[in-house]
Amino acid sequence: MKLEVMDWEQLDVNPRIITAAKKANLKAAREILSFSSADLQRVTRLSQCDVMSLQTAVAAVHRKTPLITALQLYQGECPALEPGHKLTLGCPVLDSLLRGGVPLSGITELAGESGVGKTQIGLQLCLSVQYPQEHGGMGSGAVYIATEDTFPIKRLRQLITQQSRFRPDLPAELVDSIRFSDNIYIEHTADLTALQACVAQRVPILLSRGLVRLVVVDSVAALFRCEFQADETVERARHLLAFASSLQRLSRSFQTPVLCINQVTDIVGNSDPARCTYGLVDTRVLPALGMVWANQVLVRLMMRRLEGQPEASDSGGVPRKLQVVFAPHLPQAFCLCSVREEGVRGISLSVLSQPQAPELGLQ
Amino acid sequence: MQMQRALSSFSFAPAVKVRLINAGFHSAADLSDFRPLQLSKEAGISQEEAEEVLQAVRSEPYQGRAAGSRLTALELLESEQTLGTIVTFCSDLDCVLGGGVPVGKTSEICGVPGVGKTQLCIQLAVDVQIPVCFGGLGGQVVYIDTEGGFFVQRVADMATAAVDHCSLLAEDAEQRAALKEFTVETILSNLFLFRCHDYVELLAEIYLLPNFLAQHPEVRLVVIDSIASPFRRDFEDLSHRTRLLNGLAQRLIQMASQHSTAIVLTNQMTTKVVNGQSKLVPALGESWGHAATQRLILHWEGQQRLASLCKSPTYKEGTVPYQITGHGFRDVVRPCLPRTSADPSGLTFGSACKRPRLEEDGPP
Repeated sequence: MKLEVMDWEQLDVNPRIITAAKKANLKAAREILSFSSADLQRVTRLSQCDVMSLQTAVAAVHRKTPLITALQLYQGECPALEPGHKLTLGCPVLDSLLRGGVPLSGITELAGESGVGKTQIGLQLCLSVQYPQEHGGMGSGAVYIATEDTFPIKRLRQLITQQSRFRPDLPAELVDSIRFSDNIYIEHTADLTALQACVAQRVPILLSRGLVRLVVVDSVAALFRCEFQADETVERARHLLAFASSLQRLSRSFQTPVLCINQVTDIVGNSDPARCTYGLVDTRVLPALGMVWANQVLVRLMMRRLEGQPEASDSGGVPRKLQVVFAPHLPQAFCLCSVREEGVRGISLSVLSQPQAPELGLQ
Repeated sequence: MQMQRALSSFSFAPAVKVRLINAGFHSAADLSDFRPLQLSKEAGISQEEAEEVLQAVRSEPYQGRAAGSRLTALELLESEQTLGTIVTFCSDLDCVLGGGVPVGKTSEICGVPGVGKTQLCIQLAVDVQIPVCFGGLGGQVVYIDTEGGFFVQRVADMATAAVDHCSLLAEDAEQRAALKEFTVETILSNLFLFRCHDYVELLAEIYLLPNFLAQHPEVRLVVIDSIASPFRRDFEDLSHRTRLLNGLAQRLIQMASQHSTAIVLTNQMTTKVVNGQSKLVPALGESWGHAATQRLILHWEGQQRLASLCKSPTYKEGTVPYQITGHGFRDVVRPCLPRTSADPSGLTFGSACKRPRLEEDGPP
């Protein structure tokens, strides 16, 4: 990491302390702050009070984000810190489940069994991000990192041709004017090294040039599950953490939603004290990658097939259940949706006779 | 007594200590009659250093926890009671905690993702602002968000519910007058938010916090959500991390008592293998377990969310159910039945009904 060289002039401390710090060959603010107070005393040969005032003064200079109140955020005065905007999924029912859509900052995970429709949602977001902000998009393209299969280009084409049918709320000339496929950057990464390089180098370039405002990783599980042996959990955790924190950093610095598609793992056995079921009782599977990854996820969604449901009447196919497993701003609710030719659509609640999810308080 | 304290135990610069000891000064009492100029000549240190030494020796009893050493237990009890507690809006949990989250102490909330740590923090950030005439503290809040889990939308939800709740309770003129000041806008404007993205930024904020608390004496709650996430990445040298965390814990405890504020930290859970059996334990290692005065673990049991008080010097350990509704952190309405819907009116929270605890761990 680059270290900014300390500007000693700015520090509001006794010059004697600055001399001691310089003598100890301290150069960067981060360096001074990351010393524990005892270590810094040892290095600079200063007293505890001096060390404390040095660290406080350095902290004051180093602080970049200003003090804000929640009211300022609420009134939208600091769009850089909390954008009120969210990325739409293109369907009002799904958006209302997520209170507007996918948040711009942090990792949103979508887990589910294979073939349940996770990739469909990923593709759908790649299109909706291209609409201007007043239509729930971000007026920019998307980068799609495929780690499992080849990118489903045929399905994307189909979705593009069906856009006007999927978004009847938008003016037809707007839908026609966007060249969707030109703004989707596809990255195939076959191994972990390639994935890491992609996230460390190529994605930041696309983001900083303003070419994309959405990152989709499909899937995050594939490489992390297959490249590590069972006894390499510590190593795996380290890589997973580093990967998650680079995604978080990108998401934060470019106000860009990150969707990570995840596989699921079967629940085996009855009582594993280390297993966390997130209050889900009617499921046989849980999102893969364990607690290390779960701790890094801001919004966790799960998509599931419904057992014993009859075929839906129209072209909808078998209904799926899109469930909020956790999110700081959402109740643990779900909605039903169906994968159609033109995209994934939620089934409006008024049609349902089923009881709502437990603890549903909002909407 | 204080004056008998050995000079070597003070936090002076090593060179100063050596000079003092060489000059024959061994305890604080030896310095009691000295003036800075005299001392600087006597010990061969600069006058500035001498001033600092004398100041440290003389002001020592007023610093940090040492202040308490001159109180009787009764006085201490009284002063602790006047500090009060922050209610959680879950009466079962308040019961276990002895009225709520204690002001002047540090509390840690651990739990798996999504179990409700951030929800409890936001709830406390709203509840600490309840006006005094409603039995609240009427305080302000500092909220340090390191995970990006702070959604102002959610704060507004809980603030609205809290305002509605108080307006239903308002009986006398004083309470009605207080309600005019207790609005969603004022709740949000009394919440100071800091966002930190790595441990250095977090440390920087914590170093600056004492000044901020001195300037804002109304702050009664500092939330750090979470302490784990910045300290669980970017560390190769775990002993360095432990030293930083120990120093941090010390500062937080000092801040809590000096500025009469509750400090609430959240922590993640991690998988630990003990005797071939894996289980979930709070992250950041064994020694961090000593950091906070109280430790609360939130966990799932089937569909039920449970809160367990795991470490407390004052109260019995216990486990109680709770739920998260649109309004915030609440009591479970019917603990025996699976909940089909949240209480839509929001009227029952904070009510006095005490539910039987699902399970209770006896004292060890």
